[in-house]
Amino acid sequence: MADHNKKKTESDHPVSRLVGLLAQFDDPDSLIHAGTHAREAGYKKMDAFTPFPLHGIDEAIGIRRTWLPFFVLAIGLSACAFGLFLQYYSNAGDWSPIFPGYAFMISGKPLFSLPANIPVAFEITVLSSAFAAFFGMWALNRLPRLANPLHRISRFRRATNDRFFLLLEAGDEKYDSSRSRQQLEEWGATAIEECNEDLTDREFPKVLKMAGLILVFLLMIPPVLIFRASGGTSRAPRLHFMPDMDWQDKYKSQVLAPDFDDSVKHTGLFADGRAMRVPLPGTIALGKLENDTEYHRGFLPPQSSYTGELPVLGEKLAGQFNLQDEKPEGTAEGAAAVQEGAAAPQDPNAPPEPNWVTEFPANVPVSRELVERGRQRFEIYCSACHGYNGNGGGLINQHAMALAVNGQAAWTAAKSLHDPTITVQPVGRIFDTMTNGRNTMGPYKSQIPIADRWAIVLYVKALQETGITPAVIAPVEGAPETTPATKPAE
Amino acid sequence: MSIVINPETDNTFEDPGKRAPLVLGGLDYGGVTENVASLWEATRPPRAWYITLGISMSFMAILGACILHLFMKGTGIWGNNNPVYWGFPIVNFVFWVGIGHAGTLISAILFLFRQNWRTSINRAAEAMTIFAVICAGTFPGIHIGRVWAFYWLFPVPTEHLAMWPNFRSPLLWDVFAVGTYATVSVLFWYMGMVPDIATFRDRCRTKIGKLVYGILSLGWTGSSRGWHRYEAAYVILAALATPLVLSVHTIVSFDFAVSQVPGWHTTIFPPYFVAGAIFSGFAMVVTLLVPCRQLFGLKNLITIRHLENMNKIIMATGLMVGTAYGIEFFIAWYSGVQTETFAFYNRAFGNFWWAYWIMVSCNVFIPQVFWFKWARTTPWFMVIICIFVNIGMWFERFVICITSLCRDYLPSSWAYFYPTEFDILMLLGSFGLFFTLFTLFCRYLPVIAMAEVKNIIPRGGHGDDHDHHETHGSPAVAGE
Repeated sequence: MADHNKKKTESDHPVSRLVGLLAQFDDPDSLIHAGTHAREAGYKKMDAFTPFPLHGIDEAIGIRRTWLPFFVLAIGLSACAFGLFLQYYSNAGDWSPIFPGYAFMISGKPLFSLPANIPVAFEITVLSSAFAAFFGMWALNRLPRLANPLHRISRFRRATNDRFFLLLEAGDEKYDSSRSRQQLEEWGATAIEECNEDLTDREFPKVLKMAGLILVFLLMIPPVLIFRASGGTSRAPRLHFMPDMDWQDKYKSQVLAPDFDDSVKHTGLFADGRAMRVPLPGTIALGKLENDTEYHRGFLPPQSSYTGELPVLGEKLAGQFNLQDEKPEGTAEGAAAVQEGAAAPQDPNAPPEPNWVTEFPANVPVSRELVERGRQRFEIYCSACHGYNGNGGGLINQHAMALAVNGQAAWTAAKSLHDPTITVQPVGRIFDTMTNGRNTMGPYKSQIPIADRWAIVLYVKALQETGITPAVIAPVEGAPETTPATKPAE
Repeated sequence: MSIVINPETDNTFEDPGKRAPLVLGGLDYGGVTENVASLWEATRPPRAWYITLGISMSFMAILGACILHLFMKGTGIWGNNNPVYWGFPIVNFVFWVGIGHAGTLISAILFLFRQNWRTSINRAAEAMTIFAVICAGTFPGIHIGRVWAFYWLFPVPTEHLAMWPNFRSPLLWDVFAVGTYATVSVLFWYMGMVPDIATFRDRCRTKIGKLVYGILSLGWTGSSRGWHRYEAAYVILAALATPLVLSVHTIVSFDFAVSQVPGWHTTIFPPYFVAGAIFSGFAMVVTLLVPCRQLFGLKNLITIRHLENMNKIIMATGLMVGTAYGIEFFIAWYSGVQTETFAFYNRAFGNFWWAYWIMVSCNVFIPQVFWFKWARTTPWFMVIICIFVNIGMWFERFVICITSLCRDYLPSSWAYFYPTEFDILMLLGSFGLFFTLFTLFCRYLPVIAMAEVKNIIPRGGHGDDHDHHETHGSPAVAGE
């Protein structure tokens, strides 16, 4: 149909296409009358253009009811179901393997209770329905539309102001250029004009295309830079776009207060510039009295001198801000030096060796479970140097020894726990070594709780009893006096 | 097409059996367009426009600076502190959300009730809604502390964290309610404006204007098929916006009512908040439109009758709010709950008595002048009353929020609330933001819904006051 309407140039390229006849009316009633006439005359493809929604025009030119409301209803109902599901999914359980939900337990109430979930479901319903109505309406109207031949007619500008237009489309069966014009005149049109669509400049402007491409390219630069800055490797600290309270002006315990105010230096909460009071001499934290010397320190309570030293110890500890120090003052290191005799010459000024416990303290339940626990802890904390079977063949030791041989590191070899100097040590002494360290071995009291340290002691004793193979653990009664088990491994 | 301005015309008198005209000065279709477009077409807006914009933008800059300072320093710059953790930001939030409600009421509820007089004021009122919601959204937005983690407010799936919002928290309902409200208001406003933007596009003479308004008008032609679907969508949006607007302030009131703080935990809060919101919103509409019609020569479209109608609504909702104040006291006494009784005694006679009595005077006593017709129909006077109403409504939120938190169950945590300078500057700054947006709107967008006003001009377009619906058999949607 469109073909015979195309005006042909010499080169046979269509320059324009006839859209139809546009008739202007000066008041709404004549437009409605004209529309009614046109419908009665058999025109089907026509449209009216008015500055406001004109009531009566739908019937006049035969516009069918839109199905938009049903579309909105469908979207609204789905959105309501989705809203309820979203809340159930994310708040009422964590059964999903991906993007798991979370079972919110609030005041012991049921995980899903409809009344509390109505508001969000309602809002999601309204939001989705509004989107459906808004975008559905534009889609049904085939808008937005960048170009429309009607807008090329200067008269048509008044369609959004104060004039009324009727367009008889050229595609209609009844359309006939001269006859339709005549009919429109009869029906009261004040002006009639042909509407043509210009087909020559339908191309999207190339300049705009290029500009758009360049713009998109430029817009991609900032995110790429941000991604690089926050994700790549760099010698300098990464850019910190969101500080997220990483640096805060606040008081920390036992540290000089930061300078909140530059004019006043080190204004702590207290006169000494601190943010926390120093404990009184001899202060012991609640539950940290640790007065069971056998259990906590591994030696028998001294008969004379040690009782008197406790307050002094407390004072000293308070001064160092280290209330958990279990070290019997001045004894361990000296004693260590004595014990490791070969390495260090005896210090005549060293305090006497404490009276190490030789039996496990009463509150260490010697049992198979404890040996097992000890094995586990030993393998975590000790085996790296001392080796799984206690012969000093741990990976770190091996590697460090290799380096030490080449002169690349200074290293004292880890002791084999089967060394005769070690096997004769009482359990309290082994406990103390673990607690406070010996020579190059550091203290483990902060890593390993006391009960576990005793478990390790028990395991070490078991290792020493069974030889170098730890795979089979002999039942141990807890004391080193038991006969050595001679079972080889496997 | 010439504008015949007849300032003597008074359309506030009721003539039984006749409808009072809503458009004066004998404006026809073209006249309405000319009148509305005159400010936009003027090469230079009136000097008052520049002055308003300048002052508003200065305050908006203050708000911006304060927000920047807030982001650098943290929420400690506000007066919020134990026990008043909800200080000015939440007060301002509730105040601004409330302001917005009148716009939706005018555009949606009055539309469903076929109140034709809404057509002259609905565009400006809807714009006010959106700008108020922008101000409102700013405050909880910056109140969350770590603003860069704002997306935690939304149900964003994470791979392993299972970090979801708690959907049973009223604060989360707020996110959904205010978010939906803002979005739907924008859709409603923009959709209503497209035909009028098309009018601007067709009248525009500058190239950039043609481009901008051409894109914004989406190629609207005024086709009858277009109008048909447009009206269907408009009714649907109005029907959606009506329960939405009621739900929004209901949910905002849940922020308080669902908690157990004495003075908050009451079932009257939802209707009381909605009535208060409409009350303050209408006061803001009047405050904006009186100078607007004066400056931009819109007196024939926004007539004294429109203003009078709004004042009647202000008085009605003011009485509702006043009743709610009374009922709160009655229930506090009737419940026999000691903390509740104390909370209300403390409101009126406690340490914030001055705020309470500012609230009651501004909201209950002062609007009573609208019983007098002179007060209802005198523009400069009604603006003063409406400003008082908004002061009162701000203090209502202040009283609810602060007095209850200052004196809750545990006397050892009682304390007074002192706002900081940033609290006050941000409140003033939010007015700057609001008025900046509104001033720009007046200049660059159609202030009056021209297409809708043209629809209520009796056909024939000569301002005679017969009811046009009866002249045609179609079941016309009045006001559209």
